[in-house]
Amino acid sequence: MSESAKVVPLAKGKRRRRERPDADEEDLRARVRDLEDEVERLREGTEGPQDAQPATGEGPLVALARLLQGGRDGITWEALARAWSALYFSWHSEDVDEFGYDPKFTRTVMPLFEFLYTMWWRVETAGVENVPGTGPALIVANHSGVLPWDSVMINLAVRHEHPARRETRMLALDMFALLPFLAPALAQSGAVRANPENAERLLRKGELVGVFPEGVKGVGKPFKDRYRLARFGRGGFVRLALRTGAPIVPCAVVGAEEVHPKLASVNWLGRPLGLPYLPITPTFPLLGPLGFVPLPTKWSIDFADPIPMDAHGPEAAEDPILVNRLSEQVRSTIQRMVDSRLARRRSIWFG
Amino acid sequence: MRRTAVTGIASFLGARVLRRLVEAQGPDAVVAVDVAAPPPTLGVRHRTLDFTEPASDQRLLELLREEEVGTVVHAAFFTNPRRDTGYAHELESIGTLNLLAAAAAAGVQRVVMRSFTAVYGARGHNPNFLTEDHPLRPNPALAWARDKLEAEEHAAAFARRYPDMAVAVLRFAPLFGPGVHNFYTRIFDHRVVPLLMGYDPLVQFLHPEDAATALLAAVESAPTGACNVVPSRPIPLLTALHLASKVPVFVPHPAAAVGADLLWSAGLGAAPGAFVDYVRYPFVADGQRARERLGFTPRYSSRQALDAYVRYRHPHAVEKARSATDEHDHEHEREHGVAAP
Repeated sequence: MSESAKVVPLAKGKRRRRERPDADEEDLRARVRDLEDEVERLREGTEGPQDAQPATGEGPLVALARLLQGGRDGITWEALARAWSALYFSWHSEDVDEFGYDPKFTRTVMPLFEFLYTMWWRVETAGVENVPGTGPALIVANHSGVLPWDSVMINLAVRHEHPARRETRMLALDMFALLPFLAPALAQSGAVRANPENAERLLRKGELVGVFPEGVKGVGKPFKDRYRLARFGRGGFVRLALRTGAPIVPCAVVGAEEVHPKLASVNWLGRPLGLPYLPITPTFPLLGPLGFVPLPTKWSIDFADPIPMDAHGPEAAEDPILVNRLSEQVRSTIQRMVDSRLARRRSIWFG
Repeated sequence: MRRTAVTGIASFLGARVLRRLVEAQGPDAVVAVDVAAPPPTLGVRHRTLDFTEPASDQRLLELLREEEVGTVVHAAFFTNPRRDTGYAHELESIGTLNLLAAAAAAGVQRVVMRSFTAVYGARGHNPNFLTEDHPLRPNPALAWARDKLEAEEHAAAFARRYPDMAVAVLRFAPLFGPGVHNFYTRIFDHRVVPLLMGYDPLVQFLHPEDAATALLAAVESAPTGACNVVPSRPIPLLTALHLASKVPVFVPHPAAAVGADLLWSAGLGAAPGAFVDYVRYPFVADGQRARERLGFTPRYSSRQALDAYVRYRHPHAVEKARSATDEHDHEHEREHGVAAP
């Protein structure tokens, strides 16, 4: 430690703002730099990359207790910082994956989503075994419901009902992935901002990726258009699957369209807030924050047989006619599954 | 054997690479071209040259010929934003242009230029991993990034015009580690750190040792084109701050930009308001190409680089934290007669 004790004051001297120091000072500075470098080299030579030390070994309560106990001689910055970071790491991991997925944070918020899955929406799944147990795959689903609840529920369906208990990396629309507060929470719970580069990287890593090709047109659909699938973008998801050889699993979500029935949209108010639409629902904005509570409809999530993509080869991604045909095939499969569910459904609330 | 010239030897990376080159090739094979003198102990050749002078390209051409330079490492860039943006522009943009012109005329075989991943620009619409083919779109209001962008454009133009001269551009992630002192690492030198409310981008911290290794590998192989030099894994900014035991204070982002600009123009702030983008949106770059072309694999992750920086810069704080825990354990032992778990 004595080495660094020597370094600190010298380094401070370097900060003086002088454009052209005289020769003596320059020489002195050079020597200082030289010494500093020497010290660094010594330090580095012995250190190398070390296994990261946990931030604090104590829980948030212990840290808080110590903070308050310190009250006798005044609350110290160190204690405050340690309590603060212990609190943060009580529900966040110290290490996240390269896209920012934080397993500890996900575990923390999971009970709420579990409640929604089992009690609130009583999600019923069919054909979840069509999702491959290993290797890359692309789940393609219809998007609806103003807020991206359907993406969370698809994730949970695969996590709970599939024998491999796979994690689905859902691709989040820009309107959600760029929203303050929501953006970090989405990244920490495993969602990734939807763009071709991110999706391809995930698939090449062998991940299961969930995508909503309808995009904003789907999630912000007015109530009168419910269960009519919008155009599937420009077939980007098909090109992606063709390039990576990942099979496409069509997925139909029924029940999500009614959780926030969007009656109208105030675009002139949404635009300045950075939102593509500001929905008016029977409960929002009338009931304020209560408007965010989704209605307890009965949900079903159906997975169809996977459509293999490796037969076409990666160069097929450049064939727009084939891409459109496959895209339309996926869209009609999902529309068929939605329609057959709707035909069997007798009640929005009880299925 | 033709010599290697290094510019910007007063910069952190320039000083590092100069030393490593002297070790590898001997002091006579390296020449420092800078207004500042290299450390006398290195015994390296030194030629004084100011890139901002009007005829610097002519003088540089003569100098490169006299010294029989085959490789130029161009590291004369400012890491910290400066208030005299005019000078920075002259050095970084025009200086690079002069250097490239002189190098091409002198028949230099390889130019290795230092650049920054920040030149991609921090934008909401960035992919999580920026590849070298991604367009460079820094905030146009930010002179700091604009000058680097212009230098990159000059490098690309010269690489096209002179196919015989290899022009390698290395885009380094922000450096973090022993010996690094700049406006970015200084965030981690305060106890209380202002942070944007509702944003927590992934950031990359590159250990200087990795940076120097990659730069040396580029001097050896000099592949034309850009290469990102980045750590093995990014880290969320808020997690980094908490790992370094900082107290974050959350500021709404419009206020942050205005506040930073006010402080900057008052001569107090470390960076102008346009830098707020870099703590708001990600500018994480992908290191795959460096792996393929330079054979460079980072040894340190962002977190390890951060740990190394905190241990180097604030050894007392690290010691204090450790002794506080020990003290607590001893107290526990005294009170309960058993060691704390």
